[in-house]
Amino acid sequence: MITVMKTIFAFVTALSLTSAALAAEIGKPAPDFTGTDINGKTVKLGDYKGRIVVLESYNSDCPFCHNQYATGATQDLQKELAAKGVVWLLVNSVNPNNFSHRTPAQAREEWTAKKIAATAWLDDSTGAIGHLYDMKTTPHTFVIDKNGVLVYDGAIDNKPDPEHDPRTARNYVREAVDALLAGKPVEVSQTKPYGCGVKYAD
Amino acid sequence: MRRFRIILAGLFCLTALTVHAAHTEVRLILSANPAQPGDTIWVGVDLQMEPGWHTYWKNPGAAGMATKIEWELPPGVTAGDIQWPLPEKLPPVEVTTYGYNDEVMLLVPLKLDAGLNPGPLDLKAKVSWLECKEQCVPGSADAAITLNVGTETKPSDDAATIELWKSKTPQINGRIPCNASWDKPPDNDSRPLTISCQPSPTAKNATYDSADFFPYASDEFEVQAATDVLSADSTAIRLRKVVKKYSGDWPPEISGVLVTETGNLRTGFEVKIPVIGDTTAAAATGNEVSAAPAPSLPANATAPALPTQPLWRMLLYAFIGGLILNIMPCVLPVIALKILGFVGESRSNPQHVRTLGLVYALGVLVSFLALAAVIIGVKAAGHYAGWGMQFGSPVFVVCLTTLVLLVALNLFGVFEVTLGGRALDAAGGLASKHGAPGAFFNGVLATALATPCTAPFLSIALGFAFAQKAPLIVLTFLAVGAGLAAPYVALSWNPAWLKLLPKPGAWMEKFKIAMGFPMLATAVWLFNLAAGSYGKSVLWLGVFLVIVAFAAWIFGEFVQRGRVGRGLAFVITLILLVGGYAFALESQLQWRQPLAAPDSTGSLKESVGGIEWQRWSPAAVAAAQADGRPVLVDFTADWCLTCQVNKKTSIEIPSVRAKLKAMNAVALLGDYTRFPDTITAELNHFNRAGVPLVLVYSKDPAAPPIVLPEILTPEIVLNALNGTITAASGINYILVGIAILIVAAGGLLYLRRRG
Repeated sequence: MITVMKTIFAFVTALSLTSAALAAEIGKPAPDFTGTDINGKTVKLGDYKGRIVVLESYNSDCPFCHNQYATGATQDLQKELAAKGVVWLLVNSVNPNNFSHRTPAQAREEWTAKKIAATAWLDDSTGAIGHLYDMKTTPHTFVIDKNGVLVYDGAIDNKPDPEHDPRTARNYVREAVDALLAGKPVEVSQTKPYGCGVKYAD
Repeated sequence: MRRFRIILAGLFCLTALTVHAAHTEVRLILSANPAQPGDTIWVGVDLQMEPGWHTYWKNPGAAGMATKIEWELPPGVTAGDIQWPLPEKLPPVEVTTYGYNDEVMLLVPLKLDAGLNPGPLDLKAKVSWLECKEQCVPGSADAAITLNVGTETKPSDDAATIELWKSKTPQINGRIPCNASWDKPPDNDSRPLTISCQPSPTAKNATYDSADFFPYASDEFEVQAATDVLSADSTAIRLRKVVKKYSGDWPPEISGVLVTETGNLRTGFEVKIPVIGDTTAAAATGNEVSAAPAPSLPANATAPALPTQPLWRMLLYAFIGGLILNIMPCVLPVIALKILGFVGESRSNPQHVRTLGLVYALGVLVSFLALAAVIIGVKAAGHYAGWGMQFGSPVFVVCLTTLVLLVALNLFGVFEVTLGGRALDAAGGLASKHGAPGAFFNGVLATALATPCTAPFLSIALGFAFAQKAPLIVLTFLAVGAGLAAPYVALSWNPAWLKLLPKPGAWMEKFKIAMGFPMLATAVWLFNLAAGSYGKSVLWLGVFLVIVAFAAWIFGEFVQRGRVGRGLAFVITLILLVGGYAFALESQLQWRQPLAAPDSTGSLKESVGGIEWQRWSPAAVAAAQADGRPVLVDFTADWCLTCQVNKKTSIEIPSVRAKLKAMNAVALLGDYTRFPDTITAELNHFNRAGVPLVLVYSKDPAAPPIVLPEILTPEIVLNALNGTITAASGINYILVGIAILIVAAGGLLYLRRRG
């Protein structure tokens, strides 16, 4: 009898283990990663436990990203959220052979020129982080709560257009972070990301 | 200075825009010029992209942006919706987009008011788009053309070009009926969907090389770009897609373009596809042979009206199915054990016998609850679940083989299962063995062994249950368990009947040993199942079983019955078990890493002159029907005893072989032993939770297949092949009769005891 029970138990356990997905899923712990930023510093997602983290798949040659930064809207949002203790990581997964790839030196220049106010810009030219989170487009954004749980996955705002004024759009990242800070549930936890393809390495 | 910098920046921007926008050129053309008031003409918005650059379709896909047209039209001219030529799927695969390389012409109908005055009219459009090569650039341009309003409508020089592009837009009244159904419960926010379409009769002789579905965009969900083509021919197109949901409910309808490919020719058909809900109940009633729901329905028809079965009827089926399970071959070895138990109990206190009956029922019910929990867990994890699925797990089979061997050894008297750990005299031993833990164990074992069998009624109830939410699954499983346990509970409440049995005595020891042999046979059968998963290494499972048997003997002889050195014997038992496990199972067999499921192709013929089985796939069915051949499909599994019995008695027999040959029929075998998802999906289509499932497709591709009952006779198979589907009612009545008899017997005995 005990053997049978154990068998059934082992079977249930085995099944639940195989179903434990490694991918990013809303309501589940966000997969941890370690990356290198454009200043050569090592950045580990797990080190930010206790703080809200925003991930943004970034490539400023993409008109959708370009528009977010050319208007200054995203930099303002980064500053606004940084003041509330939020970490904002740019993830650039453009492969090194693509026209839009940035070497760390070029990236540092762009950082200054665009007055980017994020916490760090991660060089992800291997696409490891991008694939881990299944980043589809630039800009594709993610919000992770203080306990490391993914609470938002999708578009940065509700205007999939490279020429709109982002300040008039409904910004889902701000909404999610504000809800977390107010201790309320995140109303929109998933949207279809828009933008350009990420230009991953093959 | 500051102003200068702004101007400079502006200049830079302008230069940048001009340079970038040059990758795409825009011009307008008209289908007719001049045109008379009251007519509708077409304007073509032609986008020419430089080599390597592309622009996007109305649904750009995972990235990109649809091209936009803002019209600036004189009063009296109204523009309609853009007609989009069929796009291409653009790489990379992980971010598939829909768009156009080289050139595309977007077509827009222009309605000219009847009151327009003759003369030239300027038609202006601001076209904006996103063009991409290795990077993406937004572009926009103003385009204009002059239309002369006159007294007649004359085709322009560009009319032929417009016609050419019009032929590339999807057919709006293509009349391809489609429907779709969810393949399984959602996996978090993703869910697979099978789309079935029936091309129009006029396209009957068309052969398609492939097919695809390009969805229209929605904010609430996304039909992902990847497509599994299950079949693509003139009679049936079946595609598997994955829907990712962002918000709201799962969509009741999806719309988009069905794409067929023949050589280089791609044709699009605009389709609206109703998605059949996942809560539809079984279509079949009773055990009758029933026609399956038609594979596809007109797009404008409502979802197929599968008759919803009332819950009580499903629970009744589950109960009757559980009753019948008692006489299925799977559970027979346990019945032998139970008979022995009743003999041993016959002279006991009636109250005690009753308690044991209830404990046995509890063992069955708890096991069924565990099974239900597994099913619910598997479903919640987004996987397919099915009856008997645990036999698809080699690890489970190894554990059960070992367990059943131990039961056999126990019956042979090699060791005892007593809580005290000390052997007692024969009668006392039996009594204690059939005490509460023994009865509970019997219940668990009966359930574990019952699952490779399905019984009539049971498959209908399970097919219903597997599509339901958790509480209904639990309820149905409990009903099956109640059915399985019912006869014993009824008997244990009636000691009068037990008095008819022979008195306990020395014969019982012999009978007990004799009953060990069916159990040993069960172990051999399970061992044979394991062979399929481990190949020749299954030898090491045999070695392990011998070690276990030896350990059981040492335990029984020296620990339980011995007088001296019991501690040492116990240590040796443990060393044998642990060592045997570590060496034979872990190191040699590597039992937790079974071989991958075999994926061989070609003939599956089992014997010389046997049926020429071919591997089942939806495409194989469609291909055979396209050749005008009828099809017999047998979904089976090595562990499915009902399937094996069906095959031996009613399928692999001379009369059926001859009939198949005479009809030039194709025989397809779907092997469910290792639980492949494709077959689970197909079983679900027919509202079944497991095998056996036998289907007969006539050579008329439009006719739905005949679904054969779970238990076959040669007549049922032959009649189904002949296209008559009435044969099953006979066996149906017989089985209902058996079920009623079992219930009635239990009831009568109960009444007699009380009277």
